[in-house]
Amino acid sequence: MKIVQPWITLLARLILGGTLFAAGWIKLFNSYEAKASVRAYELLPVGLANILGSILPPLEIGFALFLILGIWSRKMALAATVLMAIFVFAIAQAWTRGLPINCGCFGNGGVTADGKVHHWTYFSEILRDIGLILCGIYIYRNPIGKFALDR
Amino acid sequence: MAAKNSKKGDKGLRNTVIGTVLFVVLALGFFAAYSSNSSKNAPLPSAISKDDGYGIVFNAAAKPQIDIWEDFQCPICRNFEGINNSYINEISAKGKAKVVFHPMSFIGAESQIAANAAACSSDEGKFLDFHKALYQDQSTTENSGKWNSATLISLAKSVGIDSKSFTECVNNSKYSGWVKKIEDSAASKNVNATPTVFVNGKELDRNTQYMDAAKFKEALAAAGLK
Repeated sequence: MKIVQPWITLLARLILGGTLFAAGWIKLFNSYEAKASVRAYELLPVGLANILGSILPPLEIGFALFLILGIWSRKMALAATVLMAIFVFAIAQAWTRGLPINCGCFGNGGVTADGKVHHWTYFSEILRDIGLILCGIYIYRNPIGKFALDR
Repeated sequence: MAAKNSKKGDKGLRNTVIGTVLFVVLALGFFAAYSSNSSKNAPLPSAISKDDGYGIVFNAAAKPQIDIWEDFQCPICRNFEGINNSYINEISAKGKAKVVFHPMSFIGAESQIAANAAACSSDEGKFLDFHKALYQDQSTTENSGKWNSATLISLAKSVGIDSKSFTECVNNSKYSGWVKKIEDSAASKNVNATPTVFVNGKELDRNTQYMDAAKFKEALAAAGLK
């Protein structure tokens, strides 16, 4: 176990960090779409949603780089887990309210193209984010991993 | 001693990496904020109205007011266009209502150049024709490379726009600042989808009134369109 655990931590860092990096990078270059995605959840006032929409992509990239490089692994895992938990909440409330929206997690957000609620998509998005939360929890509990700058 | 040194070296490396990552993230954040920030002195097409979110206005004095938020690359907009275009063009041309077009661009680069070209066509008095031509020419995939300055200029020729001013306007992306202003006003008006249609400021029902020509007409009639 002692031998395997640092490798699992590395894998968890790469999955969580890699996903966050991709999500942030795709949205970074289309901030209008990113803002529309956040607005579409109808959780925040328009002004706040727009601000969050422009902050999220660089924030995700920041968490991702620290996780991949293994800097402050424990704190970053906690931060990323909290972020994912917020995403799960946002998606779940949108699903419950029957909002016909796309996740927008990797761009392409806002109201769905056909204006309908896609139950399977909602379900798989929540499942994916729970998987990422499990990665985060694993790193938090076993922060020492391979190829990390943490000592 | 050697071990201690290497540990110190590690710490130095780690701090350098932390600093670099923070710098890169901040720079990316500023870049994203700056690139989406519309300039105050951007040139504006002559037919726009600042009070209507910088949209391109037909029949400013008429009533009711119809606001159409669309993206030339959005397939649903093309469907909407196919169903309601001839009616909307008729209303616009005959002055039966105030019609405001808001060409959005959040699908990406080719939406931006199409919106810019549409604004250029508005200066030539050919907006409605070019608008229709754009949807008929829409690619089946987004940002496919089908639309660039040259293809848009030749598309414009097919509807009779053949002027130096239009060519320059497209080649120089004259209204790229205005394109961003439209996105900014969409953000402040909470428009999250294309197409989105407001009649006298009230959004039509997406489930029933968009894709049915009769219901669309009914909604406009209910708002006082004669």
